[in-house]
Amino acid sequence: MSQNEQNIHAVVDQIVAECGSSTEAVILILQAIQEEFNYLPDEAMERVCAITEITPSRITGISTFFGQFRHRPAGKHRIRICTGTACHVKGAMQVVDAFRRELKLTGLEDTDSQGLFTVEKVACLGCCTIAPVIRIDSVTYGQVVPERAGEILRNFLVHRASIKEETSPVVSTGSNGQGEIRIGLGSCCIASGSSEVKSELEKTLVDAHIQVDVKQVGCVGICHQVPVLEIVKPGEPAAYYAKIRPDEVKEVVLSHFRPEGFFNRFKTDVIGLFEQILKDGSSGSVRRYQVEERDTPVTEFLGPQINIATENRGVVRPTDLEEYKRSGGFEALSRCLSGMTPQQVIDEIAESELRGRGGAGFPTGKKWQLVKEQAATQKYVICNGDEGDPGAFMDRMILESYPFRVIEGMIIAGYATGASEGIFYIRAEYPLAVSRVQEAIYKCNEAGLLGVDVLGSGFSFQIRIFKGAGAFVCGEETALIASMEGFRGMPRIRPPYPALNGFRGKPTLVNNTETFAVISWIIRHGAEAFARIGINGSRGTKVFALAGKVNRGGLIEVPMGMTIRRIVEEIGGGIAGGKQFKAVQIGGPSGGCIPASLADLTVDFEALTEVGSMMGSGGMVVLDEHDCMVDIAYYFLSFTQNQSCGRCTFCRIGTRRMLELLEKIRSGKGVPDDLKMLEHLAGSVKQGSMCGLGKTAPNPVISTLVYFREEYEAHLDGRCPAGKCTPLIRYSITDQCIGCTKCAQRCPSEAIVYQPFEKHEINQELCIKCDICRQVCPEGAILIT
Amino acid sequence: MQITIDHITIDVQAGQTVLQAAGSAGIPIPSMCYLPGYSNHPSCMVCLVKDLNTGHLFPSCAMPVSDGMNLSASSGDVLDARREALELLLSDHVGDCEAPCRLSCPAFMDIPRMNRLIALKRMEEALRIVREDIALPLVLGYICPAPCENACRRKKIDEPVSICLLKRVTARDAIVRSTGLEKPEKFTGKRLAVIGTGPAGLAAAFYTLRRGHACVLYDQHEHPGGALRYAIPDDLLPKPMLVADIDSIYALGGEFRLQCRVTGELWEREILPGFDAVILATGFREEYPVEEFGLPALEKGLVIGKKSYTSGKTGVFGCGSIISEQLLAVRSVAQGKMAAMEADAYLTGKTNIRRKPFFDSVIGPLMTEEHKEYVKEATKEPRTDPSQGYLAGFSPDEAVREASRCLHCDCRKPVTCKLRIYADEYGVNRKKFAPAIRKQLTRNLQHELVVYEPEKCIRCGLCVEITRKEPELLGLAFVGRGFDVRIAVPFSKTLQEGLEKAAAACVEGCPTGALAYRSEK
Repeated sequence: MSQNEQNIHAVVDQIVAECGSSTEAVILILQAIQEEFNYLPDEAMERVCAITEITPSRITGISTFFGQFRHRPAGKHRIRICTGTACHVKGAMQVVDAFRRELKLTGLEDTDSQGLFTVEKVACLGCCTIAPVIRIDSVTYGQVVPERAGEILRNFLVHRASIKEETSPVVSTGSNGQGEIRIGLGSCCIASGSSEVKSELEKTLVDAHIQVDVKQVGCVGICHQVPVLEIVKPGEPAAYYAKIRPDEVKEVVLSHFRPEGFFNRFKTDVIGLFEQILKDGSSGSVRRYQVEERDTPVTEFLGPQINIATENRGVVRPTDLEEYKRSGGFEALSRCLSGMTPQQVIDEIAESELRGRGGAGFPTGKKWQLVKEQAATQKYVICNGDEGDPGAFMDRMILESYPFRVIEGMIIAGYATGASEGIFYIRAEYPLAVSRVQEAIYKCNEAGLLGVDVLGSGFSFQIRIFKGAGAFVCGEETALIASMEGFRGMPRIRPPYPALNGFRGKPTLVNNTETFAVISWIIRHGAEAFARIGINGSRGTKVFALAGKVNRGGLIEVPMGMTIRRIVEEIGGGIAGGKQFKAVQIGGPSGGCIPASLADLTVDFEALTEVGSMMGSGGMVVLDEHDCMVDIAYYFLSFTQNQSCGRCTFCRIGTRRMLELLEKIRSGKGVPDDLKMLEHLAGSVKQGSMCGLGKTAPNPVISTLVYFREEYEAHLDGRCPAGKCTPLIRYSITDQCIGCTKCAQRCPSEAIVYQPFEKHEINQELCIKCDICRQVCPEGAILIT
Repeated sequence: MQITIDHITIDVQAGQTVLQAAGSAGIPIPSMCYLPGYSNHPSCMVCLVKDLNTGHLFPSCAMPVSDGMNLSASSGDVLDARREALELLLSDHVGDCEAPCRLSCPAFMDIPRMNRLIALKRMEEALRIVREDIALPLVLGYICPAPCENACRRKKIDEPVSICLLKRVTARDAIVRSTGLEKPEKFTGKRLAVIGTGPAGLAAAFYTLRRGHACVLYDQHEHPGGALRYAIPDDLLPKPMLVADIDSIYALGGEFRLQCRVTGELWEREILPGFDAVILATGFREEYPVEEFGLPALEKGLVIGKKSYTSGKTGVFGCGSIISEQLLAVRSVAQGKMAAMEADAYLTGKTNIRRKPFFDSVIGPLMTEEHKEYVKEATKEPRTDPSQGYLAGFSPDEAVREASRCLHCDCRKPVTCKLRIYADEYGVNRKKFAPAIRKQLTRNLQHELVVYEPEKCIRCGLCVEITRKEPELLGLAFVGRGFDVRIAVPFSKTLQEGLEKAAAACVEGCPTGALAYRSEK
């Protein structure tokens, strides 16, 4: 045995000792191996088979099923390019191409020749509001333009040493009378530079000897304005500072808080004065919004919202148990345990008419009742946080920001259904959510809220985390359970439903993260209070990830039954850049495109289904006149087609054939019969597929064919009206060209023929339609036709 | 517990699936991915049935019965959905059911099978295969223009297999010729007249005789053979060869009335009253006006039912140039067999005779990269020239050498492949969902017994489960996900290593030709 093999064996032996050797441990073991080697060497997997129950067939099946696993060594750094919906409509594919060009990758290569960078496309990083987004290792870059690819790589290599881990805790300087400064540290905020703001803030406070509580709160929801600082002083209205830059922090802080001690104050003032002068006087770039002021974007954004799942948004520290308790946390649990029978709890949930927030909207009370009625001694509660929808990040935000609330919901569910074990199923791509939930579970165990005899009630409940390895189909409950049991994430036919026969063959309650997050509110305020919100059939609130071409994107929680128009225009602030509102895509790959003409439609389970969309998990991507509906249909279908587990014929082959037809249409080679065939096939796939993924995969195609058929027909004539489908468009230079040569210098394919100070021209043969010339042209002289 | 399928109420037991329940009541539901005792299903979705209460379709192989279910297993939408499942599977299926040579043979002779038997030196079996479709192997071994060789895939690689000479070689040995005759086990007592002893008439007689009917052949000439004897020169077809083929008909009990022209008068007096059926194979219409028998005819020839070879008069059949001018002897031979089969059905009262060809999956031209996959099993030798000249044909060694050049283009499970059986049953349009660019085919020949052709796989995973149950040390695994999922041996090991014990079970379990035995049993 070679030295290398011996090393691998030693590492694997250690991992197996920690993870266990049952077949259920297979994903955990593979995740640990990949963590160690950055891919899965065959030798390591063979070793696993030699010393565990796991067979070669199983380990091969699992390791090639999930997107997280690599079978080839990766570069030193991983560039994950988000191709989620919001990123897609903002040009993610051009970003992918730009990085691949920059690293000179061809064909199937994903790693550069020096082994420094590996480029990967990921479904969604959940930072939709700052799209397009990429993440290099743990550093996230937002609003990436293709033209800056090289610059970003250089910036990363220069600064990586100084970049701290994003999960590093924020230092609290301790509570005192001066008030507190809240800083959002959700994934989006961090991506927009809130870590830098935070370090600058800490530095300022230390330098100026200001004693004030700095509080790291979860997602504030105002994702379009991140990073956000909120300054709260007793007796004063809270002040928001949006899109704050590190160099602005000092000024903001000093305008609210006085340094302690005369000398310090003097010193700060003097230095501050000089800095102000050097910084060109004004600080006009700081946009400050105060909540008390009417008609400010922030109040418009927050005003129509009702926070239930996101209660105390932007106020509480995610993993501060005491604070959670002070704001009513675990009251619901103790009320259930001390004064309510399990049946009373279920009745309360049933009366609230709460329906599952995962997409299909099954009545929650009914599901709980089913699990409760099972006679088994062992039952499970699973929190489905396998959010794989490109364009949705509600689960991530809720888990990152309100881990205790979800835990409380799960314990209550456990009590009501008679389960003794809860499992969080969280995507491994959400490291921050995993670590916060981990910390919260630990604290709950310490505080007697979890474990044996919860709060002295005699009821026992454990919770653990299972990290999903990246397969959209695992959002389907039977596939999710299969993957937890160490199988490929393939759905099976229902019945039997997991409520009867679920994890390890036991009755299992699977609810979405958001569903669990509203449970404690319902218990505290009563079913009636919840049922008063929303409309008939769809009660309460729903969290949406509002993104795309709106002015104000973010995480919103609105009462069910609000119209699309109010959400887009009032909360979202209308379409960005004065463009025309064209459609809104709701429900991600399972949903459909609703045209602007139906904007007065209410957002509720039935109304959405009626127009060919669905609630889905809550992605809401707004599209404008520059979005091509054929391209959108192609985008979603290529996602579902790629994520199909491959089990049943209609989904595995049918979606592929549909995609081929769309590709044909998109490249201008379609004929009228292709539209008919596409429609026909969409119906067959919907009807014949076994699980929800296949049954809903045609929705984006069907809905665009219904509402935007003329756009498909235009493609048959060789036109893309929105100017998106690259095979059908051409770039040219207008007379506005001043001959500055900027485009020619940046053109990656040397397609621009130029003479300084003369009008340039684009060689159509060489043009790769990367859009860079249009982005760099200072005169707007690049025309797409 | 009771459920209703197609208005038939069935008593069922909890835990049964709908497919099992239907099976117990004799309601046929097609199924490919389901195998009793295994649980990977459902995947193929050809067992769809409809829940009449909800209007939803579901795979019956995996759905447990529940009391009061009301299902349809035969409504139009159910059949359409099953057909589409098959059509989708076929759109992702790269494989020929039958080899191009066989498809281009007017007699549909199983050429590749003949080649393989010759290569194994099993000449008698090879001749049996030839005689399934060709009654005159020696004759056609000389004069057939061999359209099969034009279609032979090997033609694109170097030169086609010398099929025609191989066919001749199977029948050259007189002992083999007579022992391989497959005489009927019993006689039906029915009498049949064949008018004309050219290629069509001889073939018609050959097959009716083998079916146990008595057969009398009429010919106006001194010797039998018709155009084979009187129109083809000796240097193309040596007379002893023709005689040898005709001798087989004598050996089967054929009775010849030579120098006897059947006139209208003889027809009325002797033929019609004396025989239970007649096959007209008189040759060109100009030489034999059939009107004198009172049969309808057009300018080109005797009017017969398309594919039924039945003339206007019950029990009278026609084949060969009398129905339209035939330029290929092999086509006349083929028609002779068809007419004989029709006459046999008529004589024995069979009504469900199958006339349309069986479903065929067809690849079309190979990609250049695929040539290497095909030559894996064949010898690399160039086409063999018979050392003693064309008239002498192949020596036994030369025949083996030449037959070993065959690429085995045909499927190894042409009869048992469920995809083919159901595609045929459901009348699928194999091109309905065909992609613009098909997958490239591969042949895995790493195993001594088994060939694995991944592009014929429907991803049902039965083999994965079979190897798990065996248990195999390595076995087979699903690799990848979605459309690109495939079955492979873990850790890039060989098929030989993956299937140490379960090879036979996998071949038996595989519903298509993806996993099959390499060679003739």
